[in-house]
Amino acid sequence: MKIVVCIKQVPESNNVKFDPVTHNLMRGGMSGRINPFDKNAIEAALRLRDAVGGEVALLSMGPDSTAEILRDGLAMGADSAYLLSSRAFAGADTLSTGYVLAQAVRQIGNVDLTLLGRQAVDADTGQVGPIMAVNLNQPQATYATQLTANGNQLTVVRDLDSLTQTVELPLPAVITVRAEANTPRYETPLHIQQSFEKQVTIWRDTDLDLDPEKLGQKGSPTVVRKVYAPEAKTRAQTALPSEPAAAVDQLLVIMQQHGLI
Amino acid sequence: MTEAIWIVAEREPARINPVTFQLITKAKAIAKGKKVVVVLLEAPDQQFEQAISEYGPDEILLGQNVAYAQASDEVMAGALTTLAREYQPNAVLFGATPLGRSIAPRVQAALQTGLTADCLDFFYEDDLLVQVKPSYGDNVMCEITCPDRRPQMASVRPNTFAAEKVAGAMPAITPVEVAQTTGPQGRVVDETVRVSHATGIASANKVLALGRGAATPADIANAREIASRLGASVGVSRPLTDLPDFTVEQQIGQSGTTIAPDFLLNLGVSGATQFIVGMTQAKLVVSVNRDAQAPIFAQSDYTFTGDAAAFITALKQRMN
Repeated sequence: MKIVVCIKQVPESNNVKFDPVTHNLMRGGMSGRINPFDKNAIEAALRLRDAVGGEVALLSMGPDSTAEILRDGLAMGADSAYLLSSRAFAGADTLSTGYVLAQAVRQIGNVDLTLLGRQAVDADTGQVGPIMAVNLNQPQATYATQLTANGNQLTVVRDLDSLTQTVELPLPAVITVRAEANTPRYETPLHIQQSFEKQVTIWRDTDLDLDPEKLGQKGSPTVVRKVYAPEAKTRAQTALPSEPAAAVDQLLVIMQQHGLI
Repeated sequence: MTEAIWIVAEREPARINPVTFQLITKAKAIAKGKKVVVVLLEAPDQQFEQAISEYGPDEILLGQNVAYAQASDEVMAGALTTLAREYQPNAVLFGATPLGRSIAPRVQAALQTGLTADCLDFFYEDDLLVQVKPSYGDNVMCEITCPDRRPQMASVRPNTFAAEKVAGAMPAITPVEVAQTTGPQGRVVDETVRVSHATGIASANKVLALGRGAATPADIANAREIASRLGASVGVSRPLTDLPDFTVEQQIGQSGTTIAPDFLLNLGVSGATQFIVGMTQAKLVVSVNRDAQAPIFAQSDYTFTGDAAAFITALKQRMN
């Protein structure tokens, strides 16, 4: 089975700060890491490869520094990696990103399965997987917790919070993976060593078959028109008596007044 | 033709997810003359249109087909795409549930338009739907618009808005026929409603929330006893999900459950951002914490600065 795992570089921390003067987001100096859910997707891919044979390729879109997280994935045991890096991709929203990644999957060729983490922890959309599936004209299973290959189809258990759904997917297909699916393996010294011998192929926009109208900001229907710190609304903060017994008595009175008891 | 705001009804095996009702009420409040239309795809024997009608949408587009009883994402998204092409709604809203967040981007990609995930608010400026969404784990808010393409699409976080029934509402119910989705598609072989705890916090009217300041076995046992007397559910902040007593199912907050109870008593919860965003819709909030500077107090109607264990003990004694 030929599996592609799409991974994303996200900020090391979500504790972003605002410039007090310009109100711009200050992300400078923050190093990147692999999106945590993507490690679950890599692990799921490696287990499928171990079970039925095949190969696992990693795919990411981002600046050239994204090669670092591809190395991390190779050190977990993936076989090869592709980096899509071009100024033409800058400013892409989910629609444009999903399109470019899908075109890269086509170019890699003969891909049976595309895996992603359930969502990236920075923008939290979870949209790129389904968008890729539509672009590739493939079925999908999101929020997967179990993946079982049998022949040319895959049985997937989806944890949809209120509902557990089991779905049989014909291959090729796109699947997004929940953290509950597995525990990602650690990078081993041998795999880390081997990762430096594995190829990271870099593709620019001109290396792929792309419609320029669908790239970057031009290909992105959504506009982020304002970014700001959440306004903290506050409540009355009336202090209850300082002795616990008296405080509890007053609490019960308040609850009675509100018809709660 | 009057332009419409569509709400895609989220059908669970035996009910409509409450986020659908919340979206109807919210959409009616911001519609500014646009029609509020619910799109309901169901099996013919389900008849969820009655429950939806009570919340007073202007119209229900009703697609009935046995295939919708257990439908794949491909079937649901295919039908919605076909309908959107035919009716050209101005906006399409989904609940930001796992199912809504799976189907919406398929429709978005097919229609080649914008979709904003997990919105906490939305409003119209003329014809432009301004969508307010958190990012970076709710540490940042973004206003997102889709100026040039239609429909304007968003998924909206459950329990962000209150649902209100409308007395005597009689929405028009318009049957629609949608051709079977072709193309590669999954086959749903089983759907099991997850046995939610009898103490489910998402729909509870009263919630006792425990944090690190009320995490001893005695605190937990006492809190459970108080909760059962009050008819309340017990929720926790994220650190307590590491205890064997609790899982993410009881977790209040961004990575857990957003709650909207009439009464919330926070015991030893400090109030990290990710917890706060999960409780802002609670009506009466009372918080107990040893630290007078704890962020939870700013979000509280009543405060008690002191030991949570002592407060719990006093409350339990008072209830006996």
